[in-house]
Amino acid sequence: MSNFSIEATARTPSVSLNYEAKSFEMAGESYPEDVPAFFAQMNEQLDSYFAASKDELLVEIKLSYFNSSSARALMEMLDNLDSEAAAGRKIDVNWHCDPDDDITREFAQDISSDATHIHVSICDLAPLDAS
Amino acid sequence: MDFQRFNQLSHLLLNDQFVLSYSGYVSEDILRAVGDTLRTRLASHVSDSNQIRNIFSIFVELMQNIIRYGDDGPQPETGDGEGKPAFGIVLVSQTDEKLSVMAGNFVTDDEAKILSERIQSLAECDAEELRQLYRTKLREPVEETSKGASLGLIEIARRASLPLTCEVINNGSDYNLFMIKATV
Repeated sequence: MSNFSIEATARTPSVSLNYEAKSFEMAGESYPEDVPAFFAQMNEQLDSYFAASKDELLVEIKLSYFNSSSARALMEMLDNLDSEAAAGRKIDVNWHCDPDDDITREFAQDISSDATHIHVSICDLAPLDAS
Repeated sequence: MDFQRFNQLSHLLLNDQFVLSYSGYVSEDILRAVGDTLRTRLASHVSDSNQIRNIFSIFVELMQNIIRYGDDGPQPETGDGEGKPAFGIVLVSQTDEKLSVMAGNFVTDDEAKILSERIQSLAECDAEELRQLYRTKLREPVEETSKGASLGLIEIARRASLPLTCEVINNGSDYNLFMIKATV
């Protein structure tokens, strides 16, 4: 169990999972060439975190743009987090959306209303995060 | 191609109202390169960041549709046993305050029919219906074989500010050119 991070690229966000801070963050843009492969590595890291302890987890989503394939993968990731929360783990999600981007905000709202065990807060994406 | 026809093509495409055009083989590398260029061009043409986001998003979905489904044209096979490469055309243009993205690729008769019906039905949906459709489609398994009946088209319809339009033209060959237009 060690911290995990990947740098952002033009088409993929930065990702970091920190065991001490009990936090997971994605920031940037997401329209990878191979969406399932990109998200699989993140889901694998989250599974390792869940296997290592009963600790809570704070998830920060700071994506200024993601394509429809990434939207599906995000939904699946949040479904997995919701199952983990259903099993008793405390998981909070802060979903940062650009205040002007109604469609992403609606997507975040729809996903969070489908999730029953994680707590999703939708907040404004700071301009710095969007760059 | 002779210079006369090349001149006609240049006359069409080297026009101020065209922000960007690309035609030919489309791959993930091309998507990235043309996408980066599009963003640079939009930054100098457009001040509304939301309009830029919507146009870029539509562009990405349309290019990915060509990558997935653009292998049905008159282009030759690659020769490495991978079949035909994806082939298509995309054009971003500006009229007054509106920007539109048009994309074209070759499809079979059946696909042309399915795609046209699909776009017609999306064009009749209001914003709330599109939102619910997107939400439903998100939870359905990915349709590998159904060309165009994808989440991507709904995303395009949601990002557009006018109803989507499309047209299929058969130039007397075995292939139909399917063209779609989204305006923001």
